[in-house]
Amino acid sequence: MSQHWFWWALTAACVIWYSTITVYVAIKGASDIKNMLARLDATNKREAAEKS
Amino acid sequence: MTNFNWLLDGSIVGLYLLATMVAGLMVRKYVGKVEQFLVAGREMDVYLGIASLAATEFGIVTCMYTAQNGYEKGFAGATPGILMALAMAGVGLTGFVIKPLRDSGVITIPELLEQRFGQRIRWAAGVVIVLGGLLNMGVFLRTGGQFLVLVAGLDVRYLEIMMTALLVGVAIYTILGGMLSVLVTDFLQFVVMSVGLILVTILILMNVGWEKLVTAVDTNYGVGGFNPFVNPTMGWQYVLFNLMLNTAAVLTWQTIIARVLAAKDTNTGRKVYTRTSFFFVCRFLIPGVWGIAALATLGPVANTLEAMPRYLSTAVPAGLMGILIAAMLAADMSTDSSYMLTWCSVIYNDIMAPFRKKPWSEKKGLFWNRTIIAFIGIFLLLYGLWYPLKGDLWTYLGVTGTIYLASISVLLIACCYWRRANSWGAGASIFVSAVIPVSYLVMEQLPSTAALAKSIGPYYSGIATYLLSGAAMVVGSLLKPQVRSRKEAA
Repeated sequence: MSQHWFWWALTAACVIWYSTITVYVAIKGASDIKNMLARLDATNKREAAEKS
Repeated sequence: MTNFNWLLDGSIVGLYLLATMVAGLMVRKYVGKVEQFLVAGREMDVYLGIASLAATEFGIVTCMYTAQNGYEKGFAGATPGILMALAMAGVGLTGFVIKPLRDSGVITIPELLEQRFGQRIRWAAGVVIVLGGLLNMGVFLRTGGQFLVLVAGLDVRYLEIMMTALLVGVAIYTILGGMLSVLVTDFLQFVVMSVGLILVTILILMNVGWEKLVTAVDTNYGVGGFNPFVNPTMGWQYVLFNLMLNTAAVLTWQTIIARVLAAKDTNTGRKVYTRTSFFFVCRFLIPGVWGIAALATLGPVANTLEAMPRYLSTAVPAGLMGILIAAMLAADMSTDSSYMLTWCSVIYNDIMAPFRKKPWSEKKGLFWNRTIIAFIGIFLLLYGLWYPLKGDLWTYLGVTGTIYLASISVLLIACCYWRRANSWGAGASIFVSAVIPVSYLVMEQLPSTAALAKSIGPYYSGIATYLLSGAAMVVGSLLKPQVRSRKEAA
């Protein structure tokens, strides 16, 4: 481990960072989708109202 | 023999496929305009962007070539991932190129190039982007199929049928929902893919052990397995080529740039880059460790591309096998959908631009976008089945990608930061950047020139493409007589 510490540290960082970011993005990303669809829906409704 | 259990693992995979299709189809009702179809109405926020970018840039093909790199080059095989992460973090932090690109409000890169270099350059840039992108994507299906067949222990005769069915499924939701379906399914696929990748990596590290992995690399490749500069199959030319390739990819690879263009503003696009950058180390190192585990367990094998899936077929237990296959399907589907949509956007927005003298209605625009995606799907099936892949996969992808990465990155940098750049330089750069890699690929395939191609090698050919493409821009631009405005003349 001490001989190839760079690759050991990088592999450990990958597993830890990736695990953390997966949980974080899973929670925050779901909220992003909800907001994005709400904004698109509002835009579509507004444009449809303007047309009519 | 494989540990795949049809009842347990098959149910996990089936459930995942069902959830993806439902999610992809549900959002189609929000698509009423071409802009919503191609860039999700520019409503994408940071975390959805991170999920989408990571899922798109990790397909089965990625897993296969990065594991092959790990098997053939040891830990040093992860070098391209480190270089790409550095490039992406640098671009995200400084906003280099991506800031003016997103600020301009364009849908594709060639659309911005038109503003400086004219309509013909926009068209030519569109052609090389699509040519390089589709040649690159052509090998995705077969490679993905190879992985699934080997891991699940299926009959190889079912490869084409299985991949055709998968592509049809992906094409359906992409055709109907465009970028919106891509983003929503990418999110789901990111979660499934990440869970599978992390669990399998932990299992490998626990079962095989770090010491055995290091010993296998040391025994087979010595110091070169840890240091790319002293590896006989890599060297400085490999590092330099990959630095140029990955920097150019970060700046111009249309599937990556599509996330910047779909972002709700420039800062969101930059944050997506900065916060996703470390993922590109994981993208190379995690499957690289799988490849090294295959080396440590199986020893030398004839086909290094197949070493990792052969190893996983017996190393991963039932239950986790279903998660692994669902993860890989997720990775592949997100990549296929994004790539089909991205090349479609360039064909519609730039190559077909001269045919849209009068603006098309939104309905007609959506019809053509959907038709183009269907044709790209058909091309993928045909090309993916007959192209004989020679050499290692990452190098093939690098060489085909260079067809456009070299010139478009030069054009884009010049467009944003060099006032003297003009259409002569842009045309010369596109020509040089397309001719060198295509010639190399043709030489590689012809028996009479295969030996010459081998002696030159893909790295020198790639470096030459980037350097000469830049030189062509400078020389061409300086040769064109400058038109002085009346004000300047006065």
